[in-house]
Amino acid sequence: MLVMKNINKIFQTEDIQTHALRDFNLTVNEGDFLSVTGPSGSGKTTFLNIAGLLETYTNGDFLLDGKDVGSLNDNGRSKMRNEKIGFVFQSFNLIPDLNLFDNVDVPLRYRGFNAKERKERIEANLERVGLASRMKHLPSQLSGGQQQRVAIARALATDPRFLLADEPTGNLDSEMAKGVMSLLEEINQQGTTIIMVTHDAELAQRATRTIQVKDGRVSELEIVSAQAIA
Amino acid sequence: MFNYYIKVAWISILRHWGLSLLMICAIGLGIGATMTTVTVNYLMSANPIPHKSEQLFYVQLDSWDVNDPFDEGQNPPDQMTFIDSTNLMKAKKAFRQNVQAQAFAVIEPSDPEILPLIVSGRANSADFFAMFDVPFIYGSGWSSSADDNKEQVVVLNKETNDKLYGGENSVGKSIKIDGNMFKIVGVIDTWEPKPRFYDITTGAFNDSEEIFVPFNLIAEEKITRSGNNSCWKPFGDGFKAYLASECIWTQFWVELKTEQDKQAYLAFLNAYVEEQKQFGRFERPMDNRLSNVMQWLENQEVVADDAKMMMAMAIMFLVVCLLNTVGLLLAKFLGKAPEIGLRQALGASKATLFCQYLIESACIGLAGGILGLFLAFLGLIGIEKLYGENMQGLATLDGNMMVLSIVVSLVATLIAGIYPTWRACKVQPAHQLKCQ
Repeated sequence: MLVMKNINKIFQTEDIQTHALRDFNLTVNEGDFLSVTGPSGSGKTTFLNIAGLLETYTNGDFLLDGKDVGSLNDNGRSKMRNEKIGFVFQSFNLIPDLNLFDNVDVPLRYRGFNAKERKERIEANLERVGLASRMKHLPSQLSGGQQQRVAIARALATDPRFLLADEPTGNLDSEMAKGVMSLLEEINQQGTTIIMVTHDAELAQRATRTIQVKDGRVSELEIVSAQAIA
Repeated sequence: MFNYYIKVAWISILRHWGLSLLMICAIGLGIGATMTTVTVNYLMSANPIPHKSEQLFYVQLDSWDVNDPFDEGQNPPDQMTFIDSTNLMKAKKAFRQNVQAQAFAVIEPSDPEILPLIVSGRANSADFFAMFDVPFIYGSGWSSSADDNKEQVVVLNKETNDKLYGGENSVGKSIKIDGNMFKIVGVIDTWEPKPRFYDITTGAFNDSEEIFVPFNLIAEEKITRSGNNSCWKPFGDGFKAYLASECIWTQFWVELKTEQDKQAYLAFLNAYVEEQKQFGRFERPMDNRLSNVMQWLENQEVVADDAKMMMAMAIMFLVVCLLNTVGLLLAKFLGKAPEIGLRQALGASKATLFCQYLIESACIGLAGGILGLFLAFLGLIGIEKLYGENMQGLATLDGNMMVLSIVVSLVATLIAGIYPTWRACKVQPAHQLKCQ
């Protein structure tokens, strides 16, 4: 469960203060598939970064699985990120020097799994996204859709409770986007909570919950029925 | 994780091979230049007889001209008169004592097939061999009684024995030296102390001699002395007048076991000089000195100033190379900011990333160190060719210097890598991930 209460995030430069989030309140329950929409600069990505412990907040309360995130140091935040959160980015963010096996291996290394377990997890997750046969390929040898699948495999390898996706289909054509979206739905049905930032209203409708962020606030909350998804 | 860091570093080095090669070359050049000069200085200033250098003392007495002091009064003469050295020998106040001078001789082999040899020689006392731990293959040095009785005995070095006797045991055989028959009593093994501490008046880095004969035979004119000779007072005609003169051409060493022995010997020297003053000698103020091996080498400035200057310049060059490496590492690591941000998102802490990139720096340092070792090896060959025989034996990298080269390279690169690594680990992951 993810709970944010009165979260504020202020970016401060010498002359200007920018309120990226203002009294941001949100609860994400176990198993939710939450889509976050909103205009550019509304604070969607800032919210996602704070939710993913990639950025700190100025004030407010943030509990992740009951743990007060504000009290964690860098090591604690890194550990929690590694154990509970998986990321999928718009531009895939695979490490170009490493093959698919080694890319999926990265979070497992930081988790401290032994070689056997790492291998099993890598193979299982690449199998899950349909790329087990290409684990020795470099990312540059794959299409955009395939690269995003690898990124999803990497995100899932540590069995995270939350999968945070920032415009996961933004760099894909519609066919590939559908495939990736179907994969995310499948992952959600298997129990992983997904928070997805998107500009695409059609994709947003496929989530079980949709919120709209505007001027740093959750301005609209809409519950979408399971039938609507189908 | 260490193996993982090494693997990632290796991939990164190969992937950015141009930049990595530049860094490796910069470090290699710096280490090569530094280790070349450090090696020369290290070997020049090495202790040639570490286990007893504290017990061996070079004796100096100031018998020089009162109106024109030796070395402008800074140091007593670096050699001793024949009179003083023979007097000190006769007194036998030290545990061991040795008077010596350089000599040269012509050996006429008994085998007519072998041409006469001109050899370098050392005229010394019996204690020379035990004092300086000279290793023997066959036989031994001569006895003190051989000194006293002016026996015509000789010790050959291995090379001379190989030339004359094909390496066989020649002890007991007779050999003609400068027209006189000498009995061979010993053959020494290869013995090349560097610096050649026992006589630096004729070159601290010269080879040791080919034959060794009793010092007393010089007075008997059975052997010809050579080496440096300085006189401040005219003397009469003939060799006997020369021996009785104030000319300095002998070196005197004593072995003293304890500090008490040293103090006692110094007191003896002072008493000796006081006594000599009564004969009108030693007009200068009392300045008798006992210098142990390392003090003597330092006093005689065995490590030349230009060698020290070269080393200082090479170290500065290394610093410049490292500053370049800092810049290149900074460019490389900041270029990896998106990857660093991603690794943070995937669970790497800043400390973990700091370790990872520092190990990458260390790998570059290790490669630079190996290149530097090779360049130092070439540099030492160059120095040997440039300075010729005087640098033979000095221009070699020993195990200690090889290890030092790698350690210096690693430490220097790690220091150079700290700032770029720290900067790289300060990247904001959120910003980097969005920017990709």
